[in-house]
Amino acid sequence: MPTIEARGLTKRFGSHVLAVDHLSFTAIPGGVTGFLGPNGAGKTTTLRMLLGLVTPSSGSVLVDGHSYRDLPNPTKRVGAVLEASGFHPARTARNHLRLTALVAGLPFARVEECLDLVGLMDAADRKVGGFSMGMRQRLELARALLGKPDILVLDEPANGLDPQGIAWLRDFLRFYASESATESEEGRIVIVSSHLLSEAQLIVDDVIVLTSGRLAAQGRLADLLAGTSRSVRVRTPDATRLLQALRAANLPAVERDGYVVSEGATPEQLGPLMVENRIEVHEMASSTESLETLFFSLTGGESAPGQTAAPVGDYRRFVEGPTFSPDPSPVAPSSSEGVQP
Amino acid sequence: MIRLLRAEVRKLWTIWSTYVVFGIVVLIDLAFGFALGFAPGGRHGGTAGIVPHGSLPWFTNVFSVLDNSRLLALVLGALIITGEYRHKTVTPTFLAEPRRGRVVVSKLGVGFGAGLLLGVLTMVAGLILGFILILVRVHSCVWLGGVSQGMSHAACSARQGLYYSANLHGMWQDWSQIAPGVILGTGLFAIYGIGLGALLKNQIVAIVVGLIFTLVVETIITAIWPVIGEYLPGQAATALEDAARTTFRDNGPLLPWWGGALMLLAYGITLAVVGTLTTLRSDIT
Repeated sequence: MPTIEARGLTKRFGSHVLAVDHLSFTAIPGGVTGFLGPNGAGKTTTLRMLLGLVTPSSGSVLVDGHSYRDLPNPTKRVGAVLEASGFHPARTARNHLRLTALVAGLPFARVEECLDLVGLMDAADRKVGGFSMGMRQRLELARALLGKPDILVLDEPANGLDPQGIAWLRDFLRFYASESATESEEGRIVIVSSHLLSEAQLIVDDVIVLTSGRLAAQGRLADLLAGTSRSVRVRTPDATRLLQALRAANLPAVERDGYVVSEGATPEQLGPLMVENRIEVHEMASSTESLETLFFSLTGGESAPGQTAAPVGDYRRFVEGPTFSPDPSPVAPSSSEGVQP
Repeated sequence: MIRLLRAEVRKLWTIWSTYVVFGIVVLIDLAFGFALGFAPGGRHGGTAGIVPHGSLPWFTNVFSVLDNSRLLALVLGALIITGEYRHKTVTPTFLAEPRRGRVVVSKLGVGFGAGLLLGVLTMVAGLILGFILILVRVHSCVWLGGVSQGMSHAACSARQGLYYSANLHGMWQDWSQIAPGVILGTGLFAIYGIGLGALLKNQIVAIVVGLIFTLVVETIITAIWPVIGEYLPGQAATALEDAARTTFRDNGPLLPWWGGALMLLAYGITLAVVGTLTTLRSDIT
């Protein structure tokens, strides 16, 4: 069974930057694990330590109980799609893949399979220098898949992909993670790092959330989202009567931005109440917490150190003059599900 | 290890910069060779006219520039390792083989081979150059002033056949005296270049430092303290050439050929080991 385990993983860059701070986590096979966090949370550094490209200052991250550098043929164990991974611009896509195939002792036929899989067969003999960002990402994916690894690590794979490309990648990762479940019982580990939460929510089963190099949360996404607060908001010309009715029914109610918002209530509670009181409804929406709001609650609405809301305030002050006072509370966006009345 | 070596060989022949280096070597050899071969006068008291017998100064003159190919071997060696960093191909390279020392060892092996090939190419170019020079020179008895030097047409023509064989023999002697040293020298200089590349990592810096050290710093040191100079890479490479000790150039004191080879190898390996333990251990971010 493939395993990835980090214990007290720490990385300092210089004496001031603590990129990863005593991070411990375990990745679970049989699904897609989201490696989430704001920019600068230490996602990329952690993944690069996992892949032996960056040396930890202390602690360890082990693949199948070994350090990556001690794996006899890592291409067959771990596939990695990294940002800023390089291509020689003058080398063709096919030759780029053949280099890795040679080192890993894989037949060149496998290169053709992977080119075909990512849809680059037509561009196989073109120089990578002329490739678009999306094609380079596909080529990276093809290289990662050469050794049919049980562990796939992707760092911000959606970057540079167009919407079709993202959808393709999403389907592919689901397929790859599930394919193993039927083929062998042990399952595969697929780790996808992302700061695009709405995108990640569509792919991941498990999440590992990082903030400032520390673990903020780990678990199944569904479990983490369950038990979090939900709310219903209603747009109505009879706001005052609805507020009265809700308070009479012991439900929390506030008026906000032209909506009546009831935190913790469900549409099933509000519907009958409004029918009973003959309140005209123009719009009713229930919002369950999304990964994004969960994320903001876990990270305290903060980005990485030095990337908090302050620069935005400074920027606006600069643009709008010294009289402007920035709103201190960042707005936590939430995804809404429309309900027709 | 075999797999790594095969991958490194493929890395070389799948990019054009390798061919550019090889092309430049041949072009420079031919250009310098022709310039020296036809130069009126020169380091050996003039190259114009026909030298009737013995070792021919203008061949030694021409062949003496061929060992400059080692500068291109140094550049090639530096490219082999710094190119990975420049184009960030070092990421897939170290993903596939995370033991970085093994990658460096395979690069040293392939670089040495490529350097030897560069040397062979150089000497083949030199041989072709020699043939051309003989043809032109021998005919120049008629064309370029042999006649005006007081020789009759008949006498000149009569001696032409003799000159052909004498010249060919002389050229072959000179060539075979210099070829092994040049070939081994370019091979070892490629290793030296890889060592510099491993230590400095930055492509431009590695090439500039390598060339300036060899062309300027070493020349100055050798001129002022020849005893120190003979232990420096350039002089060590010159010591490989049998001809350097006997026929041409005032090279100053030189190590025995095997001493030069060991010295040069020591430079390359030491730099590569130090580079592997320091620069190449750094994080790939």
